[in-house]
Amino acid sequence: MSIIDIVEVADGNRTVTGAVPRPRRSWAWLGLLPFVAFLVLFLILPAVGVISRGLHTASGSWSLQPLGDALTKERKSFLNSLRLSLVTAALGAVFGTLLAYAAATAKRPKWLRSLVTSFSGVAANLGGVVLAFVFVSLLGAQGLGTRLLKEAGWDLYGNGFKLNEFKGYSPGISTVYLYFQIPLMVLVTLPAIDGLKQSWREASSNLGANTFTYWRRVGLPVLAPSMLGGFLLLFANAFSAFATAYALNNQANLTPVKISFYLQGDNSSGKSPMPYALSTWMILIMLVSMAGYLLLRKRAERWRT
Amino acid sequence: MANVGFARRSLGRLIPTIVLVAAAIFFIAPLLSSARFALQNVQVFQLGKSNLFDKWSLSEVTKAFHEPGFKPTLYLSLRLALGTVLLTLGLLIPTALLVHVKLAKARPAIEFLTLLPYMVPPITLVAGVIGFIRPNARWFVASNYALIPFYAILALPFTYRSIDAGIRAIDVRTLIDASRSLGAGWGTTLRRALLPNLRSAVISSSFLTATVVLGELTMAQVLLKRTFPQFLAEYGRKEGRGGVALALLTLVATTVLLALLTIVTRRKNAATGAGGITETLTSGPTTVPRARA
Repeated sequence: MSIIDIVEVADGNRTVTGAVPRPRRSWAWLGLLPFVAFLVLFLILPAVGVISRGLHTASGSWSLQPLGDALTKERKSFLNSLRLSLVTAALGAVFGTLLAYAAATAKRPKWLRSLVTSFSGVAANLGGVVLAFVFVSLLGAQGLGTRLLKEAGWDLYGNGFKLNEFKGYSPGISTVYLYFQIPLMVLVTLPAIDGLKQSWREASSNLGANTFTYWRRVGLPVLAPSMLGGFLLLFANAFSAFATAYALNNQANLTPVKISFYLQGDNSSGKSPMPYALSTWMILIMLVSMAGYLLLRKRAERWRT
Repeated sequence: MANVGFARRSLGRLIPTIVLVAAAIFFIAPLLSSARFALQNVQVFQLGKSNLFDKWSLSEVTKAFHEPGFKPTLYLSLRLALGTVLLTLGLLIPTALLVHVKLAKARPAIEFLTLLPYMVPPITLVAGVIGFIRPNARWFVASNYALIPFYAILALPFTYRSIDAGIRAIDVRTLIDASRSLGAGWGTTLRRALLPNLRSAVISSSFLTATVVLGELTMAQVLLKRTFPQFLAEYGRKEGRGGVALALLTLVATTVLLALLTIVTRRKNAATGAGGITETLTSGPTTVPRARA
């Protein structure tokens, strides 16, 4: 072996002069076993267990019947949950994007942006019980906001408003949900809004576009995947939310509260597939909306550098 | 011309300003009203200009502290938080390090796995516990501490992302090589070379885990475990004002915790640029921010 070969080996050009390294069998993946076993034991098996029980009748045979039964028997709570989630996700997506845009583009005060992001972090992570009680003090029958609005000439409770009712568009609970939906949307869309480059705006105005045209042809198309993805995330979030609704009204006619109701009835006999069928529907809805969210986010990241 | 430009600019700022003011009102009003409700012993319908400054006191808070359920449930929740933090760190740090150093190919698969908890929300996870785990391991679910692994699962998307970002921000391979060539074993390398550099990631994932555990109601409620959120929900239904006082205190404590965390990690982030609370909560490449209501 000449000196040159050794230099080349040191350069890493082994394939040129040295022997081809034998692929070494790695046992490193064994180190992942504890983590994977943990997930299987405490997440995947319970989830599979839920779906399997949701697909068995009370007598123990495989069937799609429980899934159908769940939808017919709990149609009302399911529709309530769907409507509440759709409404709060749509409003949350719109207002969250507006708020994120306002915070991201404000020049002064300087601390505004970090205040909005930090607050969003706290509000989006607020425990549901705390949130429910805080709103009772504002918009409950004896709430301060109720009183102030009444003196301003808007009698909420006289017009049939109720904070803990789950009928129609449930303006009360929707307002409470927006308290975590809007901040969540702020966190989701802020990166996309930061991705809107000043130079695009200048370019479009050089080409003769006004603000409206800029938003229609450039701004909104760039933001659209993030907004749509955020909408799906917010939808999933509201659909699975339990604590806020439960703390406001433990008889709330919403799917998550119904599941808990059936589960607690399940303590003794444990045969009814109802809570598991409802949970299966919920997992399906989560899978679809979260998959949509992740795909859209990948698309949204195209504009970020 | 300059005037026209100014007018247009301030008109362009008009909508964002309205949005900011409206948001400030919407987000601050409930906090103010709950503070008044909890701390001022005057009913809303009696409230007027004359008694606006009357009867403010902390008595509702101290009364809540003396409620028999308060201490045991808070202690249980704190123990659960500690257990969840230890389990999370013990499981995730070695896994994330291994993926980073030796198994780069496994990264997408692991990241996908850490997102799975989003597909199985708490209410369905607890259905799984009752429908599948309890029939097979009744002794396990009977223990209060059975909540720990499930809380670790619920916090997983946050915690993994936080630890992973911390690891990516430092040059793990160099640290390992340097430490190993100085004769340190794997344990010493982890303890003396890696963990000190991962401090901010460890702190932020711990705090995030703690806020998840201290706010989670669903699983405890369905499994009938007397945790602090469960006590809070029950107490608030019984004692309106006391419940709001306690809720407000919880909110303040959480905010202080997160603010401390931001300060602690920001100092560190100036150097490493990752692993902080804001990055963890906002959508990075791997995680999804998610409220827990």
